[in-house]
Amino acid sequence: MKEQWRLLKTNFSTAFTNMAVDRAVLVTSSEGKVPPTVRFYGWKPSAISIGYFQSLEEEVDLDTCRKLGVDYVRRITGGGAVFHEEELTYSIVIPEAHPQIPKNILKSYGRICGAVMKGLENLGIESKYVPINDIITGGKKISGNAQTRKAKIVLQHGTVLTDVDVDKMFSVLKVPNEKIKDKLIADVKQRVTSIKHVLGKEIRFEDVAEAMKIGFEEEFNVELAEGVLSKEEKELTKKFEEKCFSARDWNHRR
Amino acid sequence: MQSKSIYKVPNGKLLKISLDYDEKNNSINKINIMGDFFAYPEESIESMENELKNTILEKESLIKKINSIIKWYNIEFIGLHAEGLTEGILMCKK
Repeated sequence: MKEQWRLLKTNFSTAFTNMAVDRAVLVTSSEGKVPPTVRFYGWKPSAISIGYFQSLEEEVDLDTCRKLGVDYVRRITGGGAVFHEEELTYSIVIPEAHPQIPKNILKSYGRICGAVMKGLENLGIESKYVPINDIITGGKKISGNAQTRKAKIVLQHGTVLTDVDVDKMFSVLKVPNEKIKDKLIADVKQRVTSIKHVLGKEIRFEDVAEAMKIGFEEEFNVELAEGVLSKEEKELTKKFEEKCFSARDWNHRR
Repeated sequence: MQSKSIYKVPNGKLLKISLDYDEKNNSINKINIMGDFFAYPEESIESMENELKNTILEKESLIKKINSIIKWYNIEFIGLHAEGLTEGILMCKK
């Protein structure tokens, strides 16, 4: 019988809730209270997440965010700034010691990205993992990923772009040199793609989630059983949302 | 003296340094190490920033100090390394 992991489909939430849920599951997982957990989610309203080590004000145009109603949040994972709009985001929370997870961090990126690649394959998209943390198709990025390890638990979350508006993305993200902004936007348009662009048609969020579910099941040879957040996870989510991810101290700390 | 640098680490990530340094003593007063790299554990970057205070802004001293901090705090960088960090810091003086 296949090992059973928990699947959470939390649909669309704010940036603060989304980051708080990932952290809450990391906590309950570190206490051995929940099985390995895969979650699929989206962002409403659109939001920017920045990496743990990034400076909020250097990366994000806060005024434009306010005007457009785009939220911003600092992640507990490293990596770069991401504009979350038309995408499916996944997270996986699993003990470091689990036999399916390589001890080596880079190898574990590759392994988890393997699940996303199988998910894309189920949608008819061939892709490959490009270290450190990207998945590309036809030479263009379709998924970015970031991992942290805390309390002997691996948390990796990442995006699968369903569509992308590069012009809007650069209206809310700052670039190091304004003089070359136009060129940078043109470059990014060449380097980033989406499911819609590759397939030439729109795919529903639910269908991407189903393809990814099967991708994770295939990659890890497990069964994902749909579950819900525990009472404790809901309480932790509320706490992390209020005290951390929506707090100025956290988001402006660098 | 305050200065900033942006350095693309070869085969790595984009490193952004904000440095406040003592020109007379050629040493670090305060440093912020930012960018889209990865470091495990993440909180160790704050220890790195604190430990680098008063370090002489010279290649050999910096590499030696950074390597000793990496060892002490058991830091694993991905997309960044001691040489890249040193280069980014010294770029603030150019």
